Amino acid sequence: MARVVVDPITRIEGHLRIEVQEENGRIADAWASSTQFRGIETILEGRDPRDAWAFTQRICGVCTVVHALASCRAVEDALDIEVPAAGGLIRNLVHGMQTVQDHVIHFYHLHALDWVDVVSALSADPAATSNLARSISPWPNNSATYFAEIQTRVRRFVESGQLGIFTNGYWGHPAYKLPPEANLMAVAHYLEALDWQRDVIRVHTIFGGKNPHPNFLVGGMASAINLDDTGTINAESFTKIQGMIQRARRFVDEVYWPDLLAIASFYPEWASIGGGVSNYMSVGEFPNNGQWRDTDSMYFPRGVIFDRNLSEVLPYDHEQVREYITSSWYEYEGGDDVALHPWEGETTPRYTGPQPPWTYLQDFDKYTWMKAPRYQDRPMEVGPLARALVAYASGHEDVQEVVNDALGRLGVGPEALFSTLGRTAARGVETVLLARKLEDWFNALLTRVRAGETTTFNGDRWEPSTWPASARGYGFLEAARGSLGHWVQIENGAIRHYQCVVPSTWNCSPRDAQGVNGPYEAALMDNHPLVDPARPIELLRTIHSFDPCMACGVH
Amino acid sequence: MSVSTVTRQESLSRDAPVRYKRVYLWHWPIRAMHWIAAASVLTLIVTGFYIGGPYFMTSGSATDHFLMGRVRFVHFTAAGVLVATAILRTYWLFMGNKFERWRALFPFHVRDWVNMWRVVRAYMFVKPHEAPQYMGHNPIQQLSYTGIYTLALLQAVTGFYLYGLANTGGFFFMLFGWVGPLLGGAQVARFVHHVLVWFWLIFLPVHVYLTIRADVLHKESRVSSIISGERYVRADVDFVDD
Amino acid sequence: MFFPTSHAWTHDETLGEHMERRGVSRRDFLKFCGQISVMLGLSEALVPRVAAALQNLRRPSVVWLQLQECTGCVESVLRSSDPTIGDLVLDLVSLDYQHTLMAAAGDAAEAALQASMEENYGEYILLVTGSVPLEENGIYLTIGGRTGREILEEAAAGAAAVIAIGACAHFGSVQAARPNPTGAVGVAEIVRDKPVVTIAGCPPIADVVTATIVHYLTFNRLPAMDGEGRPLFAYGARIHDQCPRRAHFDAGQYVQRFDDEAARLGWCLYEVGCKGPATFSPCPILQWNDHTDWPIGAGHPCLGCTERFFWDTMTPFYERLPNVAGFGVERNADLIGAALAVGTAAGVGAHAVATGIHRARERKKGIPLPVVPDPGTGPAPVSPGSGKEGSDG
Ligand code: HEM
Ligand code: HEM
Ligand code: NFV
Ligand code: SF4
Ligand code: SF4
Ligand code: F3S
Ligand SMILES: [Mg+2]
Repeated sequence: MARVVVDPITRIEGHLRIEVQEENGRIADAWASSTQFRGIETILEGRDPRDAWAFTQRICGVCTVVHALASCRAVEDALDIEVPAAGGLIRNLVHGMQTVQDHVIHFYHLHALDWVDVVSALSADPAATSNLARSISPWPNNSATYFAEIQTRVRRFVESGQLGIFTNGYWGHPAYKLPPEANLMAVAHYLEALDWQRDVIRVHTIFGGKNPHPNFLVGGMASAINLDDTGTINAESFTKIQGMIQRARRFVDEVYWPDLLAIASFYPEWASIGGGVSNYMSVGEFPNNGQWRDTDSMYFPRGVIFDRNLSEVLPYDHEQVREYITSSWYEYEGGDDVALHPWEGETTPRYTGPQPPWTYLQDFDKYTWMKAPRYQDRPMEVGPLARALVAYASGHEDVQEVVNDALGRLGVGPEALFSTLGRTAARGVETVLLARKLEDWFNALLTRVRAGETTTFNGDRWEPSTWPASARGYGFLEAARGSLGHWVQIENGAIRHYQCVVPSTWNCSPRDAQGVNGPYEAALMDNHPLVDPARPIELLRTIHSFDPCMACGVH
Repeated sequence: MSVSTVTRQESLSRDAPVRYKRVYLWHWPIRAMHWIAAASVLTLIVTGFYIGGPYFMTSGSATDHFLMGRVRFVHFTAAGVLVATAILRTYWLFMGNKFERWRALFPFHVRDWVNMWRVVRAYMFVKPHEAPQYMGHNPIQQLSYTGIYTLALLQAVTGFYLYGLANTGGFFFMLFGWVGPLLGGAQVARFVHHVLVWFWLIFLPVHVYLTIRADVLHKESRVSSIISGERYVRADVDFVDD
Repeated sequence: MFFPTSHAWTHDETLGEHMERRGVSRRDFLKFCGQISVMLGLSEALVPRVAAALQNLRRPSVVWLQLQECTGCVESVLRSSDPTIGDLVLDLVSLDYQHTLMAAAGDAAEAALQASMEENYGEYILLVTGSVPLEENGIYLTIGGRTGREILEEAAAGAAAVIAIGACAHFGSVQAARPNPTGAVGVAEIVRDKPVVTIAGCPPIADVVTATIVHYLTFNRLPAMDGEGRPLFAYGARIHDQCPRRAHFDAGQYVQRFDDEAARLGWCLYEVGCKGPATFSPCPILQWNDHTDWPIGAGHPCLGCTERFFWDTMTPFYERLPNVAGFGVERNADLIGAALAVGTAAGVGAHAVATGIHRARERKKGIPLPVVPDPGTGPAPVSPGSGKEGSDG
């Protein structure tokens, strides 16, 4: 038995440390530790609730949009503000593009190197690579010459001896199964995706002025629409946006999704590894009409699945959420074994671990800054897989169509979804659907603008004098990585209390008072190989399949 | 002028008709300074409030209007005038008569600190007639004028710093660039510049009230002194600064 | 961009040779040098020098530390614009350590860091995003079981230049906002023995990072900086003085409320809290994301994100002036000031009334009123003389 530490986990957002106990090439026990704390919930106290979106947005620059949006919704819920339809559609476009872009970056730049051996691409036959690429996609960049050029560059690079970000990669590890041609194709698309992502995300720049961290506004969006002014959202802006949406969809359909299926087909065993926690949750997202409190209008439905039972989707009720800190470096007034609803949530850091530098955290009861959220006292997995499962089990036609198509092509049944591979595939499924939905929302917005319905902001409750002396609100959404909730309490015009329970808090949660593991830990202990502790590539695959974001999770 | 000096109360109690003497207090530079400064401060307040919260708007094409531009121009011009009066006043601190010099404008005398409490009590109606009498500024005036000159200084320093932001290579930023970092940033400097205005609005009514009040109570031509330069004072009263 | 394989610049060739091999024309290269020179505020005469310096350059090593942060700054650099030129510039370096992108994890990643620092001691460029938490001995940020502070100190020791990217590395950004629970500070608070260039912003525009690196590689020294360590070429001018909405500011045309008529005409955002008048940043000139737009351009007031402690000094974001600590959001300084001024006026009035009552009482007690002098009896004015004699009375 060996104790294995992987810290830093790279190709994620933030600072994550994984400790496991390895036994005969498998993982017997696991600890997920998030090693950064900032205290943004406390920092918000006493501030103007209309400013909160900007503070919470800085919880994370990778999923840059979602905390701003959740915060606006929380304040709008508290103050009973309806967002006008055009404002709501703009938010859908901004958040939708965020999710699409975030997922594609995750696949190519954060996750792919777990499956793709860059060095192996050197021995690929460019002509065969071209054939492979043509067989799966009509994407234009697929000639033998193109792949030969990429290959030459890789060769020169490797020969240069200065490997840069590829230094010390686990190249040649037996867990890499792709043929050289698939590796070469993936490397080429890694590069193309870099250019693509910064193009399509400019939807944020047009509506929010910049990316990362575009501007939001309680009550709607600040970008006024006037087709006849140069300084506003005008006809030119719409043309640009349309182009970005088209390019987003095309890349997803012709590059990302085909690549994902092609790569997945070489790793079938990963459809039975890394399942872990068997409960899934989605709070629902993408209100069709911009009225986000109308949860029935959500494109991705809300619901809860327990014990992988796809025949029953239970309703979601945020009152069932509680957070433990039994294994986390905090204290609660009521003791460390109680669980608190976010309305009563406390964020009082209290570090009890060893003084740095340290070697192991697994010997300590408390080992992370991550709290442990539970729903009806059970750990829940959230994220693309949870969303896909809830939608699939709810009979969502679009999701069923794409999921069944993928399962059919890979020759596996729905049970394959409960795995590391399932998580990665589900992310692709929803990217395909969202890229399509972007067009719908864009057209809906255009239709309204044509009808003269250009209001993007509701200022009825802008002035604090119009607010009740005390109010509280719950803002939620499905972020790229899963269910996000912000709970705000406002008193005399200022924030009295603020709590965020974030996707990565759910997924990276440590043991609760009953000793039950959170999703990362459980997944690592679920039929999980670790052949060479010095080169923990299998561990990275499963952890990366969750798309960890530690700055989000701890905040 | 041979009369022995008494308190004002005693003077008031005398049956004999009171004799007055004329005292020349304020040379023309002081008087001019006072009214020019007063005018520029009022201008600064009015224009400053517009800069702080534009209470008029224009419509139509931006090229046809320059409202804020003009208001700011007037503000800066008035600021310049205020500074000019300050320079004049500074010169006169050393060149003026004994009522105008620095020791009379600011509470530098031990006797003024001693008298201060009695003057305050007089304003609180405690033995008002036994209060020490001054021809020029009494200790409370000295204190408040010290305050108002300090206020003007702070207002100018923050104001010129803000003005200098537009050109960090320029003269004003060279002179006043240190203000921002000292206060904690341009926004704090703006805040200070803004908040200081309220102190003027506190000083002014008190200042005007007290001068008029003194005039009404003592009938010693206090208000007109800042116009004519002269005061008529009871010849038999013992003035601390005579 | 950070994927150097795309252009595989080998360490035995100079950048000039490399570009020739890649087929970058001399004209394009000079054009690029010209653009960078404009951004750096260099005179045209210096363009050949920039070109010559870059041409003879060998690929320098860059180590990027990510400390207490949100990764927004990394994402910003990932979006850096100008496809061909951006690639080229970021291809100027060998990025040996960067958590978000690097293949290796755990010990293998840390070994890459150590190796780069040893091999290039005294020569590598250190980029830092994120702040350093100092409270509780720094345990609010650890990597590999070591504190951020220890890691930064070690990396800075061998660095040829230290570039702090973003508000976190500048002053701690949001985590340093009151009450700064973790004691977060910027890089310059820790690295005191060498100059730290600060690319301010939350996040900053990536092109400024690029230009700063080019400046360093060209002139072998850091660009001129302001008191905050921000390069003057980018942060020397105020947003308000470069803003396209400035004509509306000067004209007296303001958005009063979001999405009102004025907002739809692109008027000035001063009255909805724009911090452009207090903020030094190249946003209006460089713009964001391949020159697509920028915050004020998209209708939202500037938050002042390039200024130190903007989370406290620029908030409330939708008010023109900061809040007075301790008073609720609605009670801003003006309410207090107005209350004081009105209170003073009322006090003056009350005092006047009290004076009247007091005098009526005295009159009853028989204390006489002042006798109005007979104007005819006054003597000639007594002049105290020019102040040169006798300063005391
Ligand atoms: C913005 C408006 C004003 C400001 C800032 C101001 C300020 C001052 C200052 C600083 C002095 C001391 C002069 C010196 O020795 O340097 C002074 C004296 C004086 N001011 Fe004003 N003043 C203002 C308006 C007025 C007005 C409206 C009146 C008329 C009622 C007035 C009546 C006087 C008088 C009579 C003096 C002579 C001081 C004394 O009695 O000993 N002031 N003022
Ligand atoms: C009695 C003296 C003064 C008064 C009462 C006064 C008043 C004001 C007020 C109320 C504002 C608006 C502040 C805000 O809300 O942002 C303002 C702005 C300003 N004042 Fe003054 N001011 C005075 C002296 C000066 C001086 C001496 C200068 C020097 C040039 C100056 C320069 C400025 C500037 C540049 C602004 C614009 C601030 C900005 O950029 O927003 N002021 N002033
Ligand atoms: N976990 C997480 Fe986020 C997302 N998606 C936020 O809510 O990544 Ni930074
Ligand atoms: S400066 Fe801002 S964007 Fe950059 S890491 Fe810090 S919080 Fe994120
Ligand atoms: S929008 Fe902001 S920066 Fe632009 S002119 Fe108005 S106040 Fe100045
Ligand atoms: S908020 Fe920051 S991004 Fe630019 S416009 Fe203002 S400096
Ligand atoms: Mg929380």
